[in-house]
Amino acid sequence: MTDDGAGLFDEPLGHVLVVAPYRRDSSYISQLLGEQQIDVSIVDDASLAQHLDWSTSVLVATHEALSDHVIETVAQHLEDQPAWSEMPIVVLLDRASPSDRIRGALGVSWPRSRLLFYQRPVSAIELLSGIQSALLMRSRQREVGNYVEREVELRRELNHRVKNILASVTSIFQMTMRGSESIDELKSDFSGRLRALTEVHGAVFEAATKPVPISEIVELTFAPYRVEKSDRIILKGPEIMLTHEAATTLALCLHELATNAIKYGALSVPDGEVRFDWNIAGDNVIMRWEESSGPPVRKPEKSGYGTGYIKSALSSLFGVPPKIEFQSEGLRLEITGPVDRIRRN
Amino acid sequence: MLCLEDNPLIAFHLEQLIEDLGHVPMLTLSSFSELKKVSELSADCALIDIDLVDGRTGPEAAKWLRGKGVPSIFVTGQRELAEDYADRVVGILSKPISQEDLEEALSMIKPN
Repeated sequence: MTDDGAGLFDEPLGHVLVVAPYRRDSSYISQLLGEQQIDVSIVDDASLAQHLDWSTSVLVATHEALSDHVIETVAQHLEDQPAWSEMPIVVLLDRASPSDRIRGALGVSWPRSRLLFYQRPVSAIELLSGIQSALLMRSRQREVGNYVEREVELRRELNHRVKNILASVTSIFQMTMRGSESIDELKSDFSGRLRALTEVHGAVFEAATKPVPISEIVELTFAPYRVEKSDRIILKGPEIMLTHEAATTLALCLHELATNAIKYGALSVPDGEVRFDWNIAGDNVIMRWEESSGPPVRKPEKSGYGTGYIKSALSSLFGVPPKIEFQSEGLRLEITGPVDRIRRN
Repeated sequence: MLCLEDNPLIAFHLEQLIEDLGHVPMLTLSSFSELKKVSELSADCALIDIDLVDGRTGPEAAKWLRGKGVPSIFVTGQRELAEDYADRVVGILSKPISQEDLEEALSMIKPN
């Protein structure tokens, strides 16, 4: 799996904002960070609010900078932080200052921050390593933030999919119920359709972001019948890599055709044969289902679940309806449609 | 009746429900882009899902159809999202839908 987020080493560790009213301090800090290729901006009391945003990784403030206005501006920014964020703030205090009191007060004013205190004069290496570890801490926070965001997205997507599947299952159940004449028929038809849906879901899930080969769809649909009827089921065609939607629809259509053949068609008698083949001709794909040597076929009075679903689903998949013929030697179905509607490379 | 639904199973179910209620499922499409290519549209009403094959285009389709004088009903699993576009449709149905839900929603259109 590749991570599409840029790694730690691909981009600068982040942006450092410095509030230091004394020019000596600000130029010292900016030179120190600049030498390490750390991105730094010097701001004053008035411009702090407009510079303080999510691109700010670390805030550095000197003792003199801690005016009521600055404390309030930073407090507001901290309050607006997303849940994953605890902005690191480096504070440079004077040796003579009541540092315990200031530390206590800032801890109260700036909740949800990571405060690092240094007493001036501070050595270059000490300050630098402090800021660098604050930057690292910040980029870890951002990673966690991205992670949380992705999880929220995944959960939303999962919910959407589950609802979709439940809606599909409800439709299958409702439609199976209306076509069933007995509870036993309902039981076997419904569980057969659910099994087909489960199988193809498994194949689509295994494929993950990749397309699904048509050979796999054909194989999984006919696997349950091939053991005893292998020489009577002929399956033939070139490999086509299918979109997940096309794979699902095709699997469910083939399931209907196969079960119909077993119940009423060519596979309900010892000598009957079924042939499913597909070919690509130019921009089109031609799919054909042909039953032969089965019992005499009569067109059903009303269109059942199987034919109804196949017509509806294939029409929507290809943009054109399939041709279904109840010929005396067996059921035939043919559809010709743009291969691009089912193929994904 | 026109259906815009990208899940073939649900589309099939909708078509059957429409027939059961004595209406004609005239056309079922899975994307807004296909709908725009239809030259002569003679539907009295459209049932539209929010997410279609070409993305979250259900609301756009509803707006487009309203411009042609065709009232729409959202049939969706994402009710909250549909509510944001409630002004474009005459009703919102949550999936899975029942015949009663559909009948009730359609009765709101009939007077026209």
